Amino acid sequence: MRWFGFGFNSFAQICVPDKSEKEESGNAVGQEKVCVPVDLVNHRGRSKIRASWSRRASLFLDEDSCVRLAGFCASISSNESFSPVTVNTSGCQDAAISETHLTLALPGRIESWDLQSKDKTPSWSMEMTQSQNSDVNLPLVPGGYISSKPPIFRSLSSHLQAKSLALGGEHAVLLTAAGAVYTWGQGSHGQLGHGGLISEEEPRTVEALWGMTMRSVAAGGWHSVCVGDGGDLYVWGWNESGQLGLPSRGLRKASQQKSDQQAGERCGSFSTCPDEELHEEVFISIQAFPALVDVSPSCEISTVSCGSRHTAAVTTTGYLYTWGWGEYGQLGHQTTSSLDEPQCVEFFRNENLHVVDVVCGSWNTFTAAVKKEVLGLENVPELPPVSTGSELWTTC
Amino acid sequence: MTQPSDDPGEQRAVRCSGEHGEAGASQTSTTPAHQWWEIEDILPERRTFVSSMASLWSKISAILPPNEEQFPLQFSDKVALSVVEMLKRARQQLYGDATSASSQILTAQIILDYSWERLNTGTWRHVDKEWRRVYSYGCLFKAAAICRGSPSEEEILQAIRTCDMGLLMGAAIMENILQVIVRILQREIRTLAKEEDAHENIEAKKRKIASPHVGLIKDELSVPRIKCPSLESFNANYLLPLKPVILEGIIDHWPALNQHPWSIEYLRSVAGCRTVPVEVGSRYTDEDWSQTLLTVNEFIDRYILNEVQDSESDHKAVGYLAQHQLFDQIPELKEDIRIPDYCCLGEDDEDDITVNAWFGPKGTVSPLHQDPQQNFLAQVVGNKYIRLYSPEDTEKLYPHQSQLLHNTSQVEVESPDAERFPEFVKAPYLECVLRPGDVLFIPVKYWHYVRSLEISFSVSFWWS
Repeated sequence: MRWFGFGFNSFAQICVPDKSEKEESGNAVGQEKVCVPVDLVNHRGRSKIRASWSRRASLFLDEDSCVRLAGFCASISSNESFSPVTVNTSGCQDAAISETHLTLALPGRIESWDLQSKDKTPSWSMEMTQSQNSDVNLPLVPGGYISSKPPIFRSLSSHLQAKSLALGGEHAVLLTAAGAVYTWGQGSHGQLGHGGLISEEEPRTVEALWGMTMRSVAAGGWHSVCVGDGGDLYVWGWNESGQLGLPSRGLRKASQQKSDQQAGERCGSFSTCPDEELHEEVFISIQAFPALVDVSPSCEISTVSCGSRHTAAVTTTGYLYTWGWGEYGQLGHQTTSSLDEPQCVEFFRNENLHVVDVVCGSWNTFTAAVKKEVLGLENVPELPPVSTGSELWTTC
Repeated sequence: MTQPSDDPGEQRAVRCSGEHGEAGASQTSTTPAHQWWEIEDILPERRTFVSSMASLWSKISAILPPNEEQFPLQFSDKVALSVVEMLKRARQQLYGDATSASSQILTAQIILDYSWERLNTGTWRHVDKEWRRVYSYGCLFKAAAICRGSPSEEEILQAIRTCDMGLLMGAAIMENILQVIVRILQREIRTLAKEEDAHENIEAKKRKIASPHVGLIKDELSVPRIKCPSLESFNANYLLPLKPVILEGIIDHWPALNQHPWSIEYLRSVAGCRTVPVEVGSRYTDEDWSQTLLTVNEFIDRYILNEVQDSESDHKAVGYLAQHQLFDQIPELKEDIRIPDYCCLGEDDEDDITVNAWFGPKGTVSPLHQDPQQNFLAQVVGNKYIRLYSPEDTEKLYPHQSQLLHNTSQVEVESPDAERFPEFVKAPYLECVLRPGDVLFIPVKYWHYVRSLEISFSVSFWWS
C-alpha cells in the first residue's frame, strides 16, 4: 500500500522541497502548493496518517508501531522525527493530531502531548484496562473524547453508545453503534444539521437521518458529512467554497471573473449576461438540513474525509472524488481551482492505482492506494466521463 | 441662547477609535522641479522627506521599521507557533531580497487564509483580537509585496483593497500602519489618474429632483422642529423626557455642507477606490438580503447611478451603504463632519460615540426598529421620510420573537397587514421629512422607520 499527499506543503508536511529547484527559480510556490499527488516513499506496508494544518503524523504499524511527525518543528534533515521531545510511541495503535496537541492511543493508556511546550510529560493522560483498549477509536476514549482545545477530556454519556466521532472546526459529529448521528457545538453555519443556525451544548440527534443507518461520519471546518449503509453521501453546513458539492454562488462568480479577464477567450458554458444566469440557478450558501449528494453515478462511497473547506470521498470501486476549496492544490486535480461538484482525481486512474483510503489535513489530502495488478483488477472497465450520463458498469 | 461654536479650536474632531496620533502628509514647500512631501511617520523619530518623484516602494519602505529586528511580531499564546513561524517568514522575506514578489504574496496569503478561518470561527463579538491582528499583518505583508517593483495602477488598486480588508476585518497594528499605507497609495492613484468629467451630468440631474412629499406630513403628526437650542433647553425639554425633535441649524458649519459639499464627484475623488460593505436587498428582514464588499466607485455605479438612470426597473436590487463606520476608515471624510455638541450631555467619552454613514439611492428602507442608545441622525444629502413610535406602544408594534430580531417590528409600516397586526393602526406616531441640514434626535429605544426619498447621505451618532 502506498500513501500519496497533495495540497498545502509550506511546512514540508507532505514532502521536503527540492533545494536545488528552489534556488534556481527563487520561487518556491510550486513546492508550497503540491498540485500533483506525491508518493510518500517512506510509507510502505500498513500505516495510518493523521494531519493538522502544519503537520502530518504517520503511524507505522508494521514496525514497532511508532509515530513519526513531519511538518512544523520536525527536523529538516531526517524529514520525519518527533520534536521537540523524544516520546516513546512504540506500540501505538491510533493517533490524533491538532495544531497544538498530539494524542496517542498506547497499550493500556492514552496520552495527549502539547506540541508547543518542552514538557517531558504529556499534558493529559489516562490509564485503561485490558478490556477498554478496544473502546479506543480516537478521538473517542473510554467515557468520552479528546478535544483539541482545553478541557482536553470531555465526557460523553454511555447511553449514546458512541462508535466513532468526527471533530470539526467548532462542532462534533457522532456516530452511534445503531447507526444514528448526533451533533453538537456551534451551529451558525448549519453544520449541526438540525435545520437552523442555533448552537447546541449537548449531543442532539439529527432527525432528518432518522430511520437510516449511517456507517461513517466526517467533519470539516464548518461542514459535516456522513455515509449511509448503502453508500449514499449526505452533507450539510457551509458551502462557501463548494465543500458540500452543491452549487456555490461565490465559486460561480469567481470563475466568471476569471473568464472575463481572459480577454478574447470564449467560454461556451457561460452566457453573455452573467448576472442573469446567476439569478436563475439556485445557489446554496448554508445547508442546514442533510442533503444527498450524487458523487458518482451508481457508485457507493466507502470512505469520506473532510479538510477545513474541502471534502474527499473514496468509492468502493477505488476512485477518489474531491470537491470544495482547491486554492492549495488539495483537490488533486493539478490546479488550484475550487469546485462545487465532485470530480474524480484522474491521477490515480492514470497510474492504475486503486484508492482504498483518504485522510484530509486542514488544507491537504492524503490518499492510500494499491496497484490494480495487486488486486487482480487489471481488467476493470474504464470509468466513463460523468457528463455523458451513461450507465456505469462496476465491479462493486 | 448659545450657539454651537464653529471656532476650529473648540470643535470636537471625531478621532480614530482606539488610536491616537493620526499620520498625515502635508505639502511643505514647492520647488519648480518637483514637490517634496513630508510623510509623518508612525515613529516620529523617523520623520522622512521623500521626493514625490521617488518610487512607490521607497515611500512605503520609509514608513516601515528600518530593519527586521525592529519589526514587532508579538502575539498571545492564542496564536499557534506555526502561525507565528509563517509571520516570521513573511517578515524575513520583506526585508530580504531573495524572494520573488509572488512568493511573498503567497506567504502573506497563507497568513490571510488561516486568520480568515479563525475570524469566521465563533461569533464575531468573541473572535480573539489576536486573530484580527494576525489578519492585519497578512494584509500588510500582501500590500507591501504588491508594491515591490513597479506596480501597475490595477495592482495599486489591489493593494488598496487589501489594506481596506485589514481596516474592515482586522485590528490596528503598528500604530494603524494600514491607514498610513492607504494614504500613500491613494495619492499615487490620484497622480496616475487622468481627469474625468463624466459626472457633471449627474450633478445636474440631482438638482432637478424636487423635494417630494413635504406637503403630505400632517401638522399634528409632525416631529417638532427647533433652531439651535441651548444645551440646557435641549436637555430639559427633549433629552430628559425622551422626546424626539428635529434640531435645525446645528450642522450648518459642517464642511460637508460648505467647503466640501458631499457630491458624488467629491465622494469618488476622496474614497472612490476604497472598499466598503454594502447591504443588498430591499430590507434586512428579507430572505434575499445579503452583504457584499464593493469599492465606493462600484457602489455608486451599480446602486446609486443605476437608480437615477433607470428608475423603472424594480427588479434591480437596492444597495445601501448602511451602518458602516466609514469615518474611521476614511479620515478625510471625518474632517467634513463634527460630533454634535449636545452629545456632551451624555455620560460617554467622545471615543465611545459610534458614528455611522448611511449612503444610498432612492428607496432604501430601514424597517421599524429600536436601538439601545440615543441617536442624532444628521441629514447631509437628500431627503428621508421617517416615522417614530414611542416605546410605550411597543405591544402594538409586534416585535419579532427571535433573539436576533427582537428589536425589529414585524409590521410593514407603509402597508401594514391589518389582519395579522390589528393593533398597529391604533399606535400613535410622529413623522417627518428630514432635509439636508436637519438633525433628528431619536431618543433611546424609540422605534423608527426610515425610507429615502432620493439619493441620500445621513450620518448617525449613537451615544449614551
